[in-house]
Amino acid sequence: MIDPFHYFLIFLKASLFSTGGLSNLPSLHQDLLAAGWAEDAEFGRSIVIGQLSPGPNGLWVISLGYLTYGFAGAILALIAITIPAFLVLFVAAGYARIARARWVGGAMRGVALAVVGILLSVVWTIMRQPGVDRWGVLIAVIAFGLAATKRVRLPLILALAGCAGLFLYR
Amino acid sequence: MVTADDASPGAWQLFRLWAGIGFQSFGGGASTQFLIQEQFTARHAWLTPEELLHYLSLCTLTPGINLIALTILIGRKLAGVPGIIASLAGLLLPSAGITCLLAALVTRFEDQPAVPAALRGVVPATAGAMFLVGVNYMRPLTRTARRDGPVALLASALIIAASALSIIVVHIPVVVVVLAAIVLGVVLFPARPLAEEERREGVGKP
Repeated sequence: MIDPFHYFLIFLKASLFSTGGLSNLPSLHQDLLAAGWAEDAEFGRSIVIGQLSPGPNGLWVISLGYLTYGFAGAILALIAITIPAFLVLFVAAGYARIARARWVGGAMRGVALAVVGILLSVVWTIMRQPGVDRWGVLIAVIAFGLAATKRVRLPLILALAGCAGLFLYR
Repeated sequence: MVTADDASPGAWQLFRLWAGIGFQSFGGGASTQFLIQEQFTARHAWLTPEELLHYLSLCTLTPGINLIALTILIGRKLAGVPGIIASLAGLLLPSAGITCLLAALVTRFEDQPAVPAALRGVVPATAGAMFLVGVNYMRPLTRTARRDGPVALLASALIIAASALSIIVVHIPVVVVVLAAIVLGVVLFPARPLAEEERREGVGKP
């Protein structure tokens, strides 16, 4: 039997000590398997769903919640990943307090540059997935080009890419 | 395309806008990043790209999912506490609902070959969208660096490349990369802020 409170705490702990994406995976994997509340296959499925479904990739834990504990699990997971995000209000308040210090401008410029580097590393991570071949590179380039024109909306681009996938890989 | 309604949005308008993102951002975080940038800096001129990048920087310094934290900051800036609630509900209710739906369907349709084939096409397309997001964020950074001269430009390019490579090749945790970038920023750009000056510059833009 799943104990809802303990189950929620496992999810909350994982998201408090994570930095988004899949970084909460090891903690959840360890704790849920130890409690006997999840199986390995449910993790694999959830990660695929998180990548396909709308919203941040971090929503993969909602899928994990649903697969392991139904709607109650999904709702508990949603609450658990939303709470830590509010810490950003403290970070923003802390920043406002030191914003005028001489060194802060340079420091935030460093962070902004790192953020761009992190975004580019995500591009690489996506492209390195199994299943992305030369056609995949072509699809990525075309998607970039279409999006850059600002004339084609993203959902249409993704739908076209899905059709290309059906045509190429089925 | 900038529309005429660029006076600050109300909570209800924010909810509808974020719900649009929550329903349409198939393909995960890359698509969500893309639509946020498009809606708040291009379609509506509510935030400059510099401000959005600054918010994203603050979110990177916060534990948890960056995009949810970003939703909170944008909601608060545009409509206060009601804006936070409206934005979070708008983004998360549709996307979490669709996630549950897909979770329910995946166990049934896992054996269909069409599903992984379509997915193999969609995944690289999200990478293309993510690359455009990165390029768009790079613009204000290069503009400031050009103002500061070739050394600053080179230093900026090096920090971007070093952050990306240290994650890709050496698998250094993101937290460590950000801390290193803070140190490098303080050393390389003394008293040369990005956001403030660029924001003033951005006031006259359409």
